[in-house]
Amino acid sequence: MSLSTGSGFTADSLGLDPIDDGTSVLLTGEDSDALEAVFYRLTAPRDDEKAVLLATDADGRSVKQSLGRAERGADDRAAVLTCAGPAQGDDVRTVEDVSDLTGLGMQFSTLLAEATGEVDDFRAGILLCSTIMSEVEDTRSVYRFLNSNFLSELRRSKALGVCAVDTSADIGSDVTSTITGMKTSFSAHVEVESAGRNRATLDVSGLPGNDGTVDVSW
Amino acid sequence: MTERTVLCVDTADDIETISAAVSGEESLTPVEATSVTQATETVESESVDCVVTEYDLEDGSGLEIVEALREEQPQTPVVLFTGARPGEIDTASFEEMVVEYLNRDLPDAADRLGFVVDDVITHSAQVGFLAPDDEGSRLEALAEYDVDGMPIEESFSRLTDLIASHFDAAVAFIGLIEEEKEDFLACTGADWDSLTREDTICTHSMLQEDVMVVEDINEDKRFANNDKLHNLDIVSYAGANMTTDDGQIIGQVCLIDHEPRQYDESQKQDLQDFADTAMEILDLRQQLLDAKRTEVDA
Repeated sequence: MSLSTGSGFTADSLGLDPIDDGTSVLLTGEDSDALEAVFYRLTAPRDDEKAVLLATDADGRSVKQSLGRAERGADDRAAVLTCAGPAQGDDVRTVEDVSDLTGLGMQFSTLLAEATGEVDDFRAGILLCSTIMSEVEDTRSVYRFLNSNFLSELRRSKALGVCAVDTSADIGSDVTSTITGMKTSFSAHVEVESAGRNRATLDVSGLPGNDGTVDVSW
Repeated sequence: MTERTVLCVDTADDIETISAAVSGEESLTPVEATSVTQATETVESESVDCVVTEYDLEDGSGLEIVEALREEQPQTPVVLFTGARPGEIDTASFEEMVVEYLNRDLPDAADRLGFVVDDVITHSAQVGFLAPDDEGSRLEALAEYDVDGMPIEESFSRLTDLIASHFDAAVAFIGLIEEEKEDFLACTGADWDSLTREDTICTHSMLQEDVMVVEDINEDKRFANNDKLHNLDIVSYAGANMTTDDGQIIGQVCLIDHEPRQYDESQKQDLQDFADTAMEILDLRQQLLDAKRTEVDA
């Protein structure tokens, strides 16, 4: 059951060729500003798309502002589930406790199901998975959450998914080993390295036509 | 087509809705329960491929069933099929019970349920580990080896004896990583047959290019809360990949100790050499088996 039109997802603000439907991107980096900037440019929905974002550390308003800066009007086409801030209307919902993966998963799935019913193409993102890992006692639960509430949804709906991990965070386990393992379950990996103010170098793998090093600015 | 058993749980008045939706998929066979108690007894006494449950039940909530299931069958997926909105569901005592949520009040919910159940079973969608993107090809490569048909245990037991002695390790084992579990073909220092995959360190180690060392599982949240590992008295771990000629990782050669332990680069290389030797033995045994079968057929 696929609801996609199969047109791919543009990422021209990062100088990337369109990304195939159903792609899951693991986005990593130790500079949180650069990581966020790239995350929003990958997940900002274009005119006929929607975005569903899970924000662990930012409130809905700042997430929407960041989306609007990345793509004009993207803030109006996004639904946000935040663990840090008040709910606002239907588009910004909250989960009080980031370690409540049961509630988080159900809320996130509900937003994704609503997006699936509204548009053919949507982008889904998690910012930051490293925060979830640092808050949850057993990493197996995080993997269960990613499998059940993220990767499965991408597989079924052919959406574009981006999962961001701040590699400077204390996630309670060997971050290099954890990232190496996670990379094998995602179809693509983008490593972000800051190259100065509003500039970064992306090391891209698994995105056909884009693999290699890309310098970006915003 | 493989028959898949699905435990369907709802009140007596509404159970038929779930059962009918599930049986609409050709490969799915529903088993019914109308209470938390009855469902819990079922998951404790028989293996099921998936559980579909309402949240509001007469003697408790569907999440209590999930809790029991995770104890008995941790990798079995669950679909919460309910009219209760996520905000109305009390998750306070069940914060890490990840489930698939499907709102049964949606117009196409019953039609979608069968598809979702089939999908979560097919893709092992709620397991507590990350599988490689090419897991299907990896399992096909593993299936090429007829381990039951070859006399491999003695060879491997001698090898794990040597490995344990070389490293002065408490336990040394050779394991093949199947879809849902790791089978130990030889194990020196312990009597282990198999372990559910999400409980193994090997399922993480197999994703690494190099030998993976966990000096102390208590310092790593991937393993620190894993009761199975603690019950086996595992504290430190080192694992090296067994890789086929086509690059598929099918197993691990591993060292376990009951106290924190480090390994230097030379020791890691030695362990990798042992893993390569185990892989060569397995390959040669399979080639011998193939040759004998060809001879018989001729």
